Amino acid sequence: MSIIANKDTRVVIIGGVAGVNAAKRMAQFDFLINRPLSVQAFVYPPEKGQQKEIYRGGELNNISVYATLQEALEENPQINTALIYLGASRAAQSARECLESKNIQLVSMITEGVPEKDAKKLRAMAIKSGKMFNGPSSIGIMSAGECRLGVIGGEYKNLKLCNLYRAGSFGVLTKSGGLSNETMWLCAQNGNGITSAVAIGGDSYPGTDFVTYLEMFENDPETKAVVMVGEVGGTLEEEAAEWFGAKKRRIRLIAAIGGTCQEVLPQGMKFGHAGAKEGKKGLGSARSKINSLREAGALVPDTFGGLSKAIKQVYQELLAEGSIKPEAEIDDALLPELPLKVQEIMKQGDVIVEPLIRTTISDDRGEEPRYVGYAASELCEKGYGIEDVLALLWNKKLPSREESEIIKRIVMISADHGPAVSGAFGAILGACAGIDMPQAVSAGMTMIGPRFGGAVTNAGKYFAYGVKEFPNDIPGFLAWMKQNVGPVPGIGHRVKSLKNPDKRVKYLVDYVKNHTSLHMPILDYALEVEKVTTSKKDNLILNVDGTIGCILVDLDFPEQSLNGFFVLARTIGMIGHWIDQNTQNARLIRLYDYLINYAVKDEREVPEKK
Amino acid sequence: MAKILEGPAMKLFNKWGIPVPNYVVIMDPERLMQLGEANKWLRDSKLVVKAHEAIGGRYKLGLVKIGLNLEEAYEAAKEMIGREIGTAVVRQVIVAEMLEHDAEFYVSIAGNRDGAELLLSNKGGVDIEDNWDTVKRLFIPLDETPSLEKLTETAKDAGFSGEVAERVAKIASRLILCFDNEDAQSIEINPLVIRKSDMRFAALDAVMNVDWDARFRHADWDFKPVSEIGRPFTEAEQQIMEIDARIKGSVKFVEVPGGEIALLTAGGGASVFYSDAVVARGGTIANYAEYSGDPADWAVEALTETICQLPNIKHIIVGGAIANFTDVKATFSGIINGFRASKAKGYLDGVKIWVRRGGPNENQGLAAIKKLEDEGFDIHVYDRTMPMTDIVDLALKA
Repeated sequence: MSIIANKDTRVVIIGGVAGVNAAKRMAQFDFLINRPLSVQAFVYPPEKGQQKEIYRGGELNNISVYATLQEALEENPQINTALIYLGASRAAQSARECLESKNIQLVSMITEGVPEKDAKKLRAMAIKSGKMFNGPSSIGIMSAGECRLGVIGGEYKNLKLCNLYRAGSFGVLTKSGGLSNETMWLCAQNGNGITSAVAIGGDSYPGTDFVTYLEMFENDPETKAVVMVGEVGGTLEEEAAEWFGAKKRRIRLIAAIGGTCQEVLPQGMKFGHAGAKEGKKGLGSARSKINSLREAGALVPDTFGGLSKAIKQVYQELLAEGSIKPEAEIDDALLPELPLKVQEIMKQGDVIVEPLIRTTISDDRGEEPRYVGYAASELCEKGYGIEDVLALLWNKKLPSREESEIIKRIVMISADHGPAVSGAFGAILGACAGIDMPQAVSAGMTMIGPRFGGAVTNAGKYFAYGVKEFPNDIPGFLAWMKQNVGPVPGIGHRVKSLKNPDKRVKYLVDYVKNHTSLHMPILDYALEVEKVTTSKKDNLILNVDGTIGCILVDLDFPEQSLNGFFVLARTIGMIGHWIDQNTQNARLIRLYDYLINYAVKDEREVPEKK
Repeated sequence: MAKILEGPAMKLFNKWGIPVPNYVVIMDPERLMQLGEANKWLRDSKLVVKAHEAIGGRYKLGLVKIGLNLEEAYEAAKEMIGREIGTAVVRQVIVAEMLEHDAEFYVSIAGNRDGAELLLSNKGGVDIEDNWDTVKRLFIPLDETPSLEKLTETAKDAGFSGEVAERVAKIASRLILCFDNEDAQSIEINPLVIRKSDMRFAALDAVMNVDWDARFRHADWDFKPVSEIGRPFTEAEQQIMEIDARIKGSVKFVEVPGGEIALLTAGGGASVFYSDAVVARGGTIANYAEYSGDPADWAVEALTETICQLPNIKHIIVGGAIANFTDVKATFSGIINGFRASKAKGYLDGVKIWVRRGGPNENQGLAAIKKLEDEGFDIHVYDRTMPMTDIVDLALKA
């Protein structure tokens, strides 16, 4: 048996993420005792229409979030309890709505820092309507084996350690949330566990009081004794003492009262909960409470640590007088374990999960990213540059100093080629249309293909093929290309020619051949090919794509990485164009009519649809 | 409970039509002379100068001077501002008109669970405690406002008569309005004075407590509450308060000079019981501390370092109940780091540490802190099977 929360309790939680976390904890308890899910709905306007995933053991439940209490109750008429997890400025209004609704009989509020006036009004309202308002600042209510309201009881393991899967004989009443859990444990450790535990909250004016719950426990035949943890401030403990001493009670009362330290503290100093303040002339002091409880016949140890012995003593007495029988020990193995998450099972090595992707270049699971095993900061410290990181991530090895210098130059000379080319123009059009940087730059990026910058890969690929298959037979290579591929990628330029050479190509070839000691067989082969093609037509020169492609294959970069150099380099330029257009506040542009040949049909009438 | 100083209280009285004497709050004595040029009352009235700070026993400390003219008030302000009283410094003084009056009354209102209680007496002033039996009480239920007739009746019960009774009732009704609308917890006006020649009333002295939790609905509360610990906060306390204001959950710290047992305890309920246990076993606490609501580990670490630096401590009690949702492993990692850093700085020499805790990830948390044994800490670690405050008994027996 239990008080105020039981197997029939069905809950709406009002609030956001804290409320969802509480619902998850509550569902763990539901799983432990195998009861249906307690939480039936959430009310939280910012997340209306969402579903929250709540696991009861391995069973996944989707719980709806409603914008209003009314909607939640219309769709879930079984709800009879509300838990408030809102901030202090909105909690009281929400509790009022709950108390006004027909179905809800119990409202428990975890919110701290609720203005006293609001709490006082809520208490009065609950009393008037014959309902219960528990809190503010209440961690929740626990009825062993029946119902958990809030996160009271803590983690799953603790629920078992505190015997909360079945009812014992002790009721628990506290102001403090942490001590409600502690006291439930003490009742399990030194007795047979609890029936119900209620945290009323440590505010000055809690919505309920100890006497109300003591009456309930007195009327619950399974509760044989109550452990009450009070503290300095207010008169709830004195009222409890008065109630207990007024006549012979069926239940025994054990109590601990916090705050005796105030007797020796400097004048005016106070600690602890909001309600922990002493009234005039000692009323509400811890000492006054202890004395009145002792006079009324309650067992009050002189420290909290003394509760253990007191509970054990009462438990032994109850056993001796036969009002309770010793509980058979439950085999812990019979209680269900919470299903583990995949990660946890993997850690124990009991399951194999095939990975979805594989990576061989980068790992950021440690304190900092590692590129092919090297820590990024160490690369920086040892004087490596962005070109070395590029080589690591694209080719998985650190280039030599000479190789790095070439890579750096390739990126530098390819970074931009003015606003007129497709890529830059695409990015500029985007910028003028007010598009953000990533989208505008990718508009330019989509231009990269067979006619714009995309020839690097194929140039490298086919020249390497030529070196391999037609080493000393350039005409043979050209014939094979003509038959199987078409124009040789990397050969030919629209404006540049032998007489008007591409400065970038000249520079690169000169640098590679005269300023490094590297062996460049594919570049050499391409230059030989150029001699043959230019003899046929002046502009069939080795262009910049072809030059770069050959050099990179000579540097042992994989074929599929080659276009990446153009993509990377031009990204720098396109970002520059986007920034430039935005800095100038460029306007939207469109083509002038005179730049378009409207080769269209004359105006004509639309025929009737057949 | 948030006590506010006289200045802000007077401002709220003014707002609700409760008569107050003319007053100014100043930080610079020169400003008083300038105000004197602008305000006739400062030149013509007898003045009172009081330190506008949360310092108890101001009269005895010479921080209240009465019956002054403007020049004397200037001198008094000059003398008071900058004075150091213990850890407190006088930064502001309130200069008010000393209304010459014929009688002193007592009016107060205080909240209780079911509403509030109004207290009236026509024998106010310093002797009110001796005349407590003359005080008449009127219970005001929640959401009810007593009629002027009812208040006049109560005033008459309290010995007021005629027009004075009506005027006192009127002031009481405004006091109730102020109390209710300003989320006050208590307001005590003593004395409320009357100058019969022109029937002028004024609240000469007042103590007001407001509900600081209600500040979200009071845009005009431009004041800060007076410290709740009976003295200004120390630098270390303020540092912890600043951290507290920034984090989820909370960390709290109050120094108690001269104590030998430092507390590094969790939870608003349990921490008080640990303090009690120290006192009950004849020990002295060096501080009160509390961390709760699953605070960030760095906040607990800062609290730990602050506590390790308390002078002359012999024991540190790392205590707590079995937490509902505060992660023991995470908060203990803050405590462990704090202990390590403190030891490295030369603190914790000869200090014994006593640990008892339970809650989420308790096994990992306790195992981690127990490892400090290997690093030369004098540390004694217990789990949930140890009764909560019994580590205090062990410490004091050691």
